[in-house]
Amino acid sequence: MPLGPSSSAVHVHLNPTAAAPNVPRTPTSVTVHPGALFSILDHYLRRTDTQDRVIGTLLGTRTETEVEVRSSFAVLHSETSEQVAVDMDYHRAMYELHHRVNPKEIIVGWYSTGSNLNTYSALIQNFYSEETAPNQAIHLAINTGVEEGEQAGVKAFVGSPVGVFPKPENCVFVPVPVELRFHDAERSGIDLLTKTATSLSSTSSQPVSDLEILEQAILTVQGMLDRVLTYIQAVLSGEKKGDPAIGRYLMDTLGASADDLEKGGFNSTLQDTLMISYLANLVRSQAEVSSRLALAAT
Amino acid sequence: MATSMAAALAASLPAPSAAPAPPTPTYEAIPASMSKVIDIEAEIPLTCVQLDGMVVTKLLKHAREAPSATAHGLLLGLDLDGTLEISNSFPLPHHAGDEDDRSSKSVARYQASMLRSLKEVQADDSVVGFYQATTLGAFLNQTLVDTQAIHQEKLRHGGIVIVHDISQTARGNASFRAFRLTSAFLNAHKTSNFSTSSLMAHSLTFSSILEEVPLKIRTNPLLSSFLGTLMEPDESLASLDGELGTGSAIPPSFGVLEFGTAGLTRNLEQIVEAVDNYRTEEGNLAYLSRQIARERLKADQFVTKRKEENAARVAQGLAPLPEEDVARLFKIPAEPSRLESLLLLGQIDAYGKSLAGTASTGLVKMYAAKAGSGA
Repeated sequence: MPLGPSSSAVHVHLNPTAAAPNVPRTPTSVTVHPGALFSILDHYLRRTDTQDRVIGTLLGTRTETEVEVRSSFAVLHSETSEQVAVDMDYHRAMYELHHRVNPKEIIVGWYSTGSNLNTYSALIQNFYSEETAPNQAIHLAINTGVEEGEQAGVKAFVGSPVGVFPKPENCVFVPVPVELRFHDAERSGIDLLTKTATSLSSTSSQPVSDLEILEQAILTVQGMLDRVLTYIQAVLSGEKKGDPAIGRYLMDTLGASADDLEKGGFNSTLQDTLMISYLANLVRSQAEVSSRLALAAT
Repeated sequence: MATSMAAALAASLPAPSAAPAPPTPTYEAIPASMSKVIDIEAEIPLTCVQLDGMVVTKLLKHAREAPSATAHGLLLGLDLDGTLEISNSFPLPHHAGDEDDRSSKSVARYQASMLRSLKEVQADDSVVGFYQATTLGAFLNQTLVDTQAIHQEKLRHGGIVIVHDISQTARGNASFRAFRLTSAFLNAHKTSNFSTSSLMAHSLTFSSILEEVPLKIRTNPLLSSFLGTLMEPDESLASLDGELGTGSAIPPSFGVLEFGTAGLTRNLEQIVEAVDNYRTEEGNLAYLSRQIARERLKADQFVTKRKEENAARVAQGLAPLPEEDVARLFKIPAEPSRLESLLLLGQIDAYGKSLAGTASTGLVKMYAAKAGSGA
């Protein structure tokens, strides 16, 4: 799942054997959990008037080639035309606090909002590289899309030293592909948020009953079937040229059979389901009666 | 963001011209348009809870990753005109089982330094309640009730608890509910008296321990627009065929249509377990009440005997023996607390409700599948 507009950048990776053998490989892909992303947006909202951009620390896990950003926290920093300062004590203290709750998550890099990479970015990158040593720190640049003419999106970079004599303020930010990733179990929460975001008032009330959600899903499926049907009819009547790839996909998808249901499986499952429903209601009424009896007993 | 709207409004006002002495904090006048909705004394009752999108993702993540189904943490926010706006949250460290003094102290320290740190980056730092993850809807337990009872005394507006059901979320319906304790339960809890008579006086059943507060999910405009960008179809896929398929960072999911009944067995097991626990608890209660009855009987017998004796002594012209030392001689145990059994009943009910919900959606899905198969 790509985040933001696709770029034409070539993802360059240095051959690990060319560097010193003990140096870990540079990450080749970055995944971001929505929780981390949304915290960054919230931090951006709460910046002070004088702040142009906000920065913070990314926490997560890393494998040899992949970095998974799972959460983030804001870090105080100040930028003037002469100097940049990052509150390191704050960063350390906050990391300690996060570490207590989630010991698996380690510092993997840092984020900043806006998409300009400058000398200060290189300096901060240098600082975070020390924090994540011997692994490389990653940098997430989140464009919030509030400035005109810029599209919201997320870009990930790894720093690479440049120049004959590498200096901390010089650095090439090499882009790394970045994706949004969340667990399947969290999927419905994201659905809830997207639904909320598209509603007019940006709010939605809870709790929603299971049946309502089911109804919506079925309606969506119906809409999709209708769309497919119009497409097929257009192809059949010769208005449109059929795409064999789409035909294949449709065949695979719609060819699934429900034979099990027809061969008596339906009735036995139906009985099971009804039994469970009966049992559940029985248990509930028993509990209710029992609690009333406790009140009546003298 | 709406939560900090009041603060932002106050901050944007011109500072009073006469600068007061530095040690006294300056309180700027609340503008007339806001004077109705900002209540310093917490007089406007809460009618609604509003949960920010970021908190939703944080809760989801914590609930899924926590080692057991005991993920809990604090909610931060502000109230404005009867709506409690929850704008941030942080998880509390998980500690196994017994809560000794040292660990609770370190949790308090953790909490204080976390709040201080959040304040430094302009996040809300007032605790308004806590959240609790649960499975299959059975969130009613002693810890939750006790914590909330403490909060309800300490926090402004009494605080609320947000319950997040992991199993329901996994089934495709992210569920967040807000609760607070009813006044009847609080009265009983204050005297920590949950005997039968007290329950009757407050007419407490498991359904009247907590009252639900309406909950809304809100995404701030920045988040809404960002999500909108994420949902936009990818250009590379859009060129393939405009009418079919949308490629975006968040593809549509149909997890709710999953036909599996994997959770059912677990749910049934939970019910059996809860009923077993309830039976044990009832057995304990019955044992205790039998003991009470026995002791009382003994005491009564003693009193009647003493009375007869005294009558005989008076007849013989002797001074009667005192009758008041019964209470000293016979220790009648206090009536047992029925809170535990009440909570267990609540759990059984919740499991039953969740099972009924699964069964009913299962039924719909079955008929949908049958209709689809053209039978």
